[in-house]
Amino acid sequence: MFPCGQTRREFVWQMGGGLAGTALAPMLADDGFFDTQLTAATTQTANRNGQVPRSPRFRTPAKSVIFLMMNGAPSQVDTFDYKPALQKHAGQSLPADKKYINSGGRKVGFLTPGWRPFRPGGESGLMISDYFPLVRRHADKLAVINSCHTDSHAHGSALVAMNTGKTFIGRPSLGSWAVYGLGTSNQSLPGYVVILDKRGGPISGQPNWSSGFMSAAYQGTLFRPTGNPILDLKGPGHLDRGAQREQLDLLSRLNQEHLRQRPGDQNLAARIKTYELAYRMQAAAPEAVDLSTETPNIHALYGIGRRPTDEFGRNCLIARRLVERGVRFVQLYSGGGHLEETWDAHESIEKNHGRHAAEIDQPIAALLSDLEHRGLLDSTLVVWGGEFGRMPFSEGRNAPGRNHNPYGFSMWMAGAGVRGGMTYGETDEFGFEAVTDKVHLHDIHATILHLLGLDHELLTYFHQGRNESLTDVGGRVIQPILA
Amino acid sequence: MFRLRSMPGSHQRLLAAICWLAVVNGPLESAAAAPDFDRDVAPILIRRCLECHNAHKAAGGLVLQDQADLRRGGENGAAVVPGRADKSLLIERVQAGDMPPLKRGQSQKLPPNELQVLRRWVAAGAVWTAGRSLDQYELSTDERAGRDWWSLQKIQRPAVPQTRDGQPTVNPIDAFIRERLADKELVPAPAADRRTLIRRLFQDLLGLPPSAEEIQAFIEDDDPDAYEKRVDRLLSSPHFGERWARHWLDVVRFAETCGYERDQVKPGAWKYRDWVVQAINEDKPYDQFVLQQLAGDEVPGRNEQTVIATGFLRLGTWNDEPNDPQEYKYERLEDMVHVTGTAFLGMALKCARCHDHKFDPIPQLDYYKVANAFWAGFIEPGDRKLLGGPSSEQLGYDVLGWTDRGPRPAPLRLLKNGDPKFPGSIVAPGHLSLVTRLDRNVTPPAADAKTTHRRLQLARWIVDEHNPLTPRVYVNRLWLHHFGQGLVRSPNNFGFRGDPPTHPQLLDWLAAELVEPSLQRNARPWTSKRLHKLMVMSATYRQASQHPRQADYSRVDSGNRLWWRSERRRLDAESLRDAVLTVSGQMDLRMGGPSFRPTINAEALEGLSRKAGAWKASPADAQRRRSLYIFTQRSLLPPLMTTFDFSDTTLPCGQRNVTTVAPQALAMMNNSFVHAQSRRLAQRVAAAGGDTAAEQARMAWRITLGRDPVAAELQLAVGHLERQRLRFQQSSGRGADAAAGRGLRDLMQQAVLALRADRGVKLDDRGHVESWQDGSGRAHHATQTASAQRPLLVKDAINGRPVVRFNGQRQFLHLAGQVVTSQQFTVLAVLTDVGSGRHRTLFSNWNGGAGNSVTSLFVGTTGPFHVRVSDDWTTAPRLEQPGQPFLLTAQADTHAVHVFQNSARIATHDAPLSPRNLKTAYVLGQQGNINGEYWTGDLAEILVFNRGLTSSERVRLWTDFASRYALPLQKNSSDPRQLALESLCHVLLNSNEFVYVD
Repeated sequence: MFPCGQTRREFVWQMGGGLAGTALAPMLADDGFFDTQLTAATTQTANRNGQVPRSPRFRTPAKSVIFLMMNGAPSQVDTFDYKPALQKHAGQSLPADKKYINSGGRKVGFLTPGWRPFRPGGESGLMISDYFPLVRRHADKLAVINSCHTDSHAHGSALVAMNTGKTFIGRPSLGSWAVYGLGTSNQSLPGYVVILDKRGGPISGQPNWSSGFMSAAYQGTLFRPTGNPILDLKGPGHLDRGAQREQLDLLSRLNQEHLRQRPGDQNLAARIKTYELAYRMQAAAPEAVDLSTETPNIHALYGIGRRPTDEFGRNCLIARRLVERGVRFVQLYSGGGHLEETWDAHESIEKNHGRHAAEIDQPIAALLSDLEHRGLLDSTLVVWGGEFGRMPFSEGRNAPGRNHNPYGFSMWMAGAGVRGGMTYGETDEFGFEAVTDKVHLHDIHATILHLLGLDHELLTYFHQGRNESLTDVGGRVIQPILA
Repeated sequence: MFRLRSMPGSHQRLLAAICWLAVVNGPLESAAAAPDFDRDVAPILIRRCLECHNAHKAAGGLVLQDQADLRRGGENGAAVVPGRADKSLLIERVQAGDMPPLKRGQSQKLPPNELQVLRRWVAAGAVWTAGRSLDQYELSTDERAGRDWWSLQKIQRPAVPQTRDGQPTVNPIDAFIRERLADKELVPAPAADRRTLIRRLFQDLLGLPPSAEEIQAFIEDDDPDAYEKRVDRLLSSPHFGERWARHWLDVVRFAETCGYERDQVKPGAWKYRDWVVQAINEDKPYDQFVLQQLAGDEVPGRNEQTVIATGFLRLGTWNDEPNDPQEYKYERLEDMVHVTGTAFLGMALKCARCHDHKFDPIPQLDYYKVANAFWAGFIEPGDRKLLGGPSSEQLGYDVLGWTDRGPRPAPLRLLKNGDPKFPGSIVAPGHLSLVTRLDRNVTPPAADAKTTHRRLQLARWIVDEHNPLTPRVYVNRLWLHHFGQGLVRSPNNFGFRGDPPTHPQLLDWLAAELVEPSLQRNARPWTSKRLHKLMVMSATYRQASQHPRQADYSRVDSGNRLWWRSERRRLDAESLRDAVLTVSGQMDLRMGGPSFRPTINAEALEGLSRKAGAWKASPADAQRRRSLYIFTQRSLLPPLMTTFDFSDTTLPCGQRNVTTVAPQALAMMNNSFVHAQSRRLAQRVAAAGGDTAAEQARMAWRITLGRDPVAAELQLAVGHLERQRLRFQQSSGRGADAAAGRGLRDLMQQAVLALRADRGVKLDDRGHVESWQDGSGRAHHATQTASAQRPLLVKDAINGRPVVRFNGQRQFLHLAGQVVTSQQFTVLAVLTDVGSGRHRTLFSNWNGGAGNSVTSLFVGTTGPFHVRVSDDWTTAPRLEQPGQPFLLTAQADTHAVHVFQNSARIATHDAPLSPRNLKTAYVLGQQGNINGEYWTGDLAEILVFNRGLTSSERVRLWTDFASRYALPLQKNSSDPRQLALESLCHVLLNSNEFVYVD
């Protein structure tokens, strides 16, 4: 039953001890499995390679991650990568020795300074542009990484890479690894929640929150921000809660008798438990997105009920509520569908980023304040970034947009275990490509896992003869941004 | 004895036992005897030294592959001084534990006996067998497999064991299994009872449950061959091919779209699926099965079918916008090498793209040798429309297939670290070196050849009767799906990191039997059905899944690796859905052809970047087909399937995960498909069973679980029926009371459109309708300014009441304002339909220019009297006698859409409509602003509500209509008794007994 010499516990863990569902998690808890605080990596690699990774008592500052995914790719030189030299070079071409792929074969224009001024924020004086005046107030919480680079200039593959580590579809996503490694602490909610932008999902769709070759138990669950957030949470109208209870009681009696004749079958017992868990989820999931219990002040803080912040404000508040309830990994998308509906500012930075930043600046600032106020920022890692960045030059003479740029871009992290008020790494003077302390997306992933107390080299999943990991053969933790 | 560090004890012993290793035996008997180089020394050098001291790595400049190397020594000078062990650097370093070096901080120091062998060898002159060249892949070590790995050894048919009591066993499988059980003093479980056995056999061979009658007939059949006859019948059933094709489709990462941003449909991918079904049904020999999939365009006698088979190479994901199209070629190459190696050989070849395989004897060079076979194909960036493959002209058929660009492609270069930025030397086409006796050259194609014939030669190498992997891997897959676990429990990995076979002898016997049939005269080599039969006829297969001494035996062998019982198995995603459709009586067993798209909950579509038109569900009728025919779109796999562990569509999947998680319970509790089928099942039960609760419960058990309920279950079921009936009665009563409280007038006030032909109609001088006043108070008045397009008012048409008559000649009325504002709505109308042939629409907001050509809201009819409720449900139910006045009710709810004629529910669409664009202008009598699909018939009244109505509300309205228009009303279709039965059926579909097969 349990392949490859694994014990039942290890096997159950790999097969679905983590997430949502995880009806099996109670079984493991009964085993005292969680008490040992072993990561999955421990059981996996101990079993396979005869090695124990880091100490089970390894400090784990972050319990949860909120990943703010800027779908479509924001421009670094207009947001967090301050490049005064662009003023000097404005109107010139990028020097010819700077090589790049011209994504989509678009027009190549001239170096163009940031469209809005940068100003210092906080005591650290971190330079942040006027697209994010409210986030700027939290400058002292942010570790801005200005030297990110990635492996594709195309949205589809780059977004998949930012989510899964590889440009091709089929690998488990970051959230899946987090839940696989740590499980979830609220059995009535999924451990890995994804909330999309109303305008549409990201291109490439499902593979962005897939669990790949891992068990489906670790895949991201799409959450809708109103009503019934999960699929199949509610039956037809005539089956009210009383009628459903009646059904579940009968089901339980039949299943118990069935099990009595088949003693010792853990799978049958586990399936019986999933029904009680599902019954509880029907109440817990709508409760998590029910914002009516939040005070008017909180609504106002997040910009709920006002344009243009209402949608992302709600999503940020829901993210806080999910984290409060023990959800391990929450990903919020800003931008959905295609082109200008996302951060894909080919047409005009000012128009596009003006629109999207206005939607999220206040909600993100509110989220940071609110998490801090509730003491959750110490255990919650907030990550901001897109799938790549944008070129420092325009798409033609006087054209106000910018093309894709995988060679250099900015992301930031804040909260649990992260040093604030700092920048790390640099692009060249044009903001074109990362040159100092380059950070590959594998490094981002390694760092996020590290902040969750997981070693990216040891958190492996045995699949078809290979110990697969999120960062594969690459990745290094960005030590200088750690608190 | 070497130690397998990473594995638990029992595992170690198993592995050691089945490694055909030249194991160094303990200290030699005589200290004086010089060790034999080949027997004693070479294995130590290979296993301990060669990983670093080979010609590629030459660590410290030292190579230890042949005699000259040894003489040459390394950077630190001579490695050995013959005759002087104490002066030899090699001995010194080994003795000090410097060599082999630490690994992960652990000492690798040689055990004393091995050190002694080396010392004595050097002392005796370090004699090296002349001409002997060592190869690190020659022998397995405790770190990696060599060419002596068990799965690479020649298959020699083992003798079938004799039973201990001297009785010959009928089935060789049982002989092998029982021998191992007897070793452990275990006895197999008793035979499964007939009910269990027939269900197991049906689910295993067909993926469908047997009917209650089928079960009963088997139980009562006293023919000694009763079971065998059924085995033969099921193996000849065309549905056998459907069931077993699915297993293969998992292995070949089957899907029907490309994945990535545009996720283009691969046209004709379904033909490959049908080819697999047919191949299995006609028992195509496995060697042909392999040859055609890899080289169906190159085989002698190629035809459309063999070219369809090469779709195997087209099934992978394909990115039309890779970062670098030139580099992307190597990703595609990896996909093809990987699927080939995994599917046919059970070897992870792709690991050798970047470096020599870390665990199996596959040098990096071998990867590129094999990759040459695919390099010649349409791997270069080409016309995007062709989705990364050849055109139909190039293939010769309009199918999804593969062929070479020509007979002489550009050479393929080895990539340093697998990185296209660092091409190395040219690699000629070739085969894997892991089975040396199969070594042969890949010959260039004939002068007039159109292709390289490399794939054909690769395929022939794979199915060479001496290739030990191919038959082992294949028979293991058969065993796996019949028994629930493989003899090798890592079906896609027969290498070092895989699981060793639990029964190596049995595996080899089966593999030998596949290639050289011995049991039946004239059986064709490589055919499968005889092996399927042998497996399901075995007592091992037929034993119970519960053992009388389960607890004791579980302590000895918790994994059931010795097969002392059958494996209980949860139905996989497809089998579960198919079982539900079968017992509900809805299953449509039509085979083959294009796939259908199941209805997917609108919320699940939100994950798509292109929402509009991204997923259009097939007509309800098509959705009753087997799950094999569900369209597999990589960016949107049906949630019901993925929740139940549908296979990964990007990589070969040899065995699916089986998870048990709460979302599965949610789906079975609440999904509209499950509820719809529960309703069908209840109708079936009601139609077949008697009137009493007990009779109905008994029938529900019989149809769903294939047995009668025991007394206790019957009591529970009857209690459930009674309590649910009361509950539904009360709530519907509450609804009725509430409706009564509000009264008909209150209800009418909630209507958002209320037109009655006897009220508010303003006629022009020809008696045609110029305007018609909305009685709802919402001011959605109906008007027509063009006099030629005004419908006629006809008095005394239905029960003495007037109607507005549309003649189908461009007559229609505009409605003011946005009538419907909710995705849930109800439309009621008293009307006749005398149109024929084409679409005709009563009520619509279609407006192609405004972008709702497929997302408009409309109610109309088509052809001979089928109702249409939007494009989501285009040919719903058929009306009876629509020329006679009738009451039409179309109601879109959160879970379903219902259509009623008079008071009879004539059809239900088992899912909500996908979201409609409600904002465009509404009209009566044609399809929105299309200027067509005009209504032909009378309209006496129309009522629209912005919500679904409760049954009591509907009844109240219907009663009113019926009295005014003298319409026949029937018994209420959602009566509490029926709902209670539906509830019971729903519970049974959720039960473990239904979901698991013993």
